[in-house]
Amino acid sequence: MVTEPVGLSNNLPIKRVMPARVGDTDIAVWRSASGVVSAWLNRCPHRGMRLSHGFVRGESLACLYHGWQYGCDNKCKYIPAHPALEPPTTIQTMAYTVVEKHGVLWVSLDGTPEIPALFEKLQPVRSISFNCSNEDVLSALAETTLTCDDGQVLSASDMQSQNILILDNPQNKPKLAVLFQKSSAANVTAHLLADNSWSIDGLIRISRWCELVRRRAEIKIPDNRRNL
Amino acid sequence: MSFKLYNYVLSGNCYKVRLFAGVLGINYDSIAVDFHPGQEHKSDDLMQLNPAGTLPIMIADDLVLTETSAMLIWMASKFDSDNTWWPATDAAKTAAIVQWLGFSSDLTSTIGEARLHTMLNRDVKIEKALADGIVALRRIEAQLTEQGLRGGAWLVGESPTIADIACFPYVALAPDAGLEHDDYPAIRNWLYAIRSLSGFVTMPGIHEVHELRNEGD
Amino acid sequence: MAGLERAKEDWYPIAIAGSTVDGEQLDTSLLGINITLHGDKDREISVTADGNNLPVQTRYDHVWTTFSENPRPLFDIPEADEAGRVLVPCGVVRVKCSPLRAVENFLDIAHFPFVHTDVLGAEPHTEVEPYDVKIDETIDEVIATKVKFFQPQAAKSAGDGIVTDYVYRVAAPMVSILYKTCPPKPGSQDVITLFVQPLDEETCNVWPWMALYDYENSMADMISFQQMIFVQDRSILENQLPRKLPLDPKMEIPTRADMTSIAYRRWLKRGGAIYGALTEAV
Ligand SMILES: N[C@H](CCC(=O)N[C@@H](CS)C(=O)NCC(=O)O)C(=O)O
Ligand code: FES
Ligand SMILES: [Fe+2]
Repeated sequence: MVTEPVGLSNNLPIKRVMPARVGDTDIAVWRSASGVVSAWLNRCPHRGMRLSHGFVRGESLACLYHGWQYGCDNKCKYIPAHPALEPPTTIQTMAYTVVEKHGVLWVSLDGTPEIPALFEKLQPVRSISFNCSNEDVLSALAETTLTCDDGQVLSASDMQSQNILILDNPQNKPKLAVLFQKSSAANVTAHLLADNSWSIDGLIRISRWCELVRRRAEIKIPDNRRNL
Repeated sequence: MSFKLYNYVLSGNCYKVRLFAGVLGINYDSIAVDFHPGQEHKSDDLMQLNPAGTLPIMIADDLVLTETSAMLIWMASKFDSDNTWWPATDAAKTAAIVQWLGFSSDLTSTIGEARLHTMLNRDVKIEKALADGIVALRRIEAQLTEQGLRGGAWLVGESPTIADIACFPYVALAPDAGLEHDDYPAIRNWLYAIRSLSGFVTMPGIHEVHELRNEGD
Repeated sequence: MAGLERAKEDWYPIAIAGSTVDGEQLDTSLLGINITLHGDKDREISVTADGNNLPVQTRYDHVWTTFSENPRPLFDIPEADEAGRVLVPCGVVRVKCSPLRAVENFLDIAHFPFVHTDVLGAEPHTEVEPYDVKIDETIDEVIATKVKFFQPQAAKSAGDGIVTDYVYRVAAPMVSILYKTCPPKPGSQDVITLFVQPLDEETCNVWPWMALYDYENSMADMISFQQMIFVQDRSILENQLPRKLPLDPKMEIPTRADMTSIAYRRWLKRGGAIYGALTEAV
């Protein structure tokens, strides 16, 4: 099972929880007050509520339905309906391996994360979801180009794998990396990282370029090459 | 009391006014209208007040207002002494805000309609409402993403404005119509920022920021 | 389909009485089967499935129908006929969850501080004291008594916070009735019900109905209060996984506060009322 990028680190501040998917598995990813990140099956052991709707208090994630709190060790710490009760240690969430690297959150369902080596000095730009297949996105990408601040025109040149696309990679120092997270045959999310050569306007250009790619990928009609 | 509001608890448009009143810290008279199942907003009395047959209706001084954009501008002008929510003398900002006020009625006619169908069984062209709802969510996501790259957290400028208040309800309530927030990280962060505002009030479908409460244990 | 035959023996609400106009046809679904309600102001309302007439009755301000020629009798709510009560049909709310999940949530008090914050509950008053639950064999109902909870605003008619007393009845697999302290009339109890129309195993129409002693508030106020509460629940119900109600005890972990839910699940399983339920662990 591949390790999936499920989000950009800066989209999960401390004391926050977010939903994510790896294949068919519905996941809650959360960051405690001290910064510890956990990824759990998105289902509260009590009555099945999605934990991604919960709230973080200190080092615990509380379920929205009845407020049961689970700590970073995945164990239930507190049951509000029985404040004096020490919850049995058998009450635990189903936990997955989550790793934070390159400004990206990676989740592995089978416990052996394999995170690709990337140029270190990349910054997160945005995540964007597509309602089409990965192939549609790749072909739309191949048909578009993106202009850097210095006028250089980037195109889909060095495709490392189906899951990572590196734009402009002369000495392993990409200007832009696109990481793909495949939720299903009809839904793909791309996480974009850029090097530090981009101005704010340049980053905004990247963001708009993603939207152009999405328009093309979703209509599935190959358009003429066009510069942005 | 500052104004009178013909109000319906599940209406996202009425909620714009309730939310802004909460944030500004002002009290008002609320008159509950039996919108569902009673269709009281189409009754003779209310149709005379608002021939469009919509809610909310605001009685503000001598005005009868039936458009939430007008209500938000009136409330800001009257009660926000710092002029941050509606910076009336800043041409660029007010113009940008009005763009989003206009956009907020697209949210009503897409996500709002889809929600009436999915939640209250209203007869609506649901596929179109949902598809257009996704387009609307993507527009907000794109704007918030760009604002984030500029270092901002709000739809216009560096601080919250009535543009955020006007767009918040139906973006936040999209899951009621089956449009989840999973694909929209910038929207999620923005919703959280609005829910954390002092004076924030909830409505059914938008829950309390429990993390900010004193803990029970 | 598991439980369908058993489910066909019960009555289900499909409309508010008097809400259809003459000649109007209303298509809906019941237990996954398309049915049509024909409004007629002179004669009784009729309901058809595939062109055939189904039994119909009007009770508790709703139109009820069943697929059975020989249905189980509709449950009794004696309070409905008590003089002085305001009867409040609250309108339909559609929910993407098993009808049984909707009923089970209605029986639960531990969620009040988190889902109905500052209305039906508030931290730090989260404790659920022990209460009594039994399955009454003579009338075949689940009954919970001596349920108590601290509530900041127990009803539209409540002023300050009070400890509210509750009694719960599950009168049919998809009907739940509660009796709670009535703030303006000490010694009496408000009656609030959830009538559930199973559209299919994973979707339902919920028709809340109330019989209250409240002379202060307008009908619109009372309906709004109940819709506020139920739509708060809706956002939970649409996010419980799996969508069907699990009956295998290995699937979910209850505590003492969940005794009513445990009894309800056991009663459903024993009676074969498993339409909308998951009988095996997944
Ligand atoms: N007048 C517009 C629209 C308000 C509006 O559409 N309100 C909805 C309730 S949220 C309504 O009354 N709809 C009438 C109906 O659906 O019957 C505004 O104030 O923004
Ligand atoms: S379902 Fe999570 S605490 Fe009850
Ligand atoms: Fe509830």
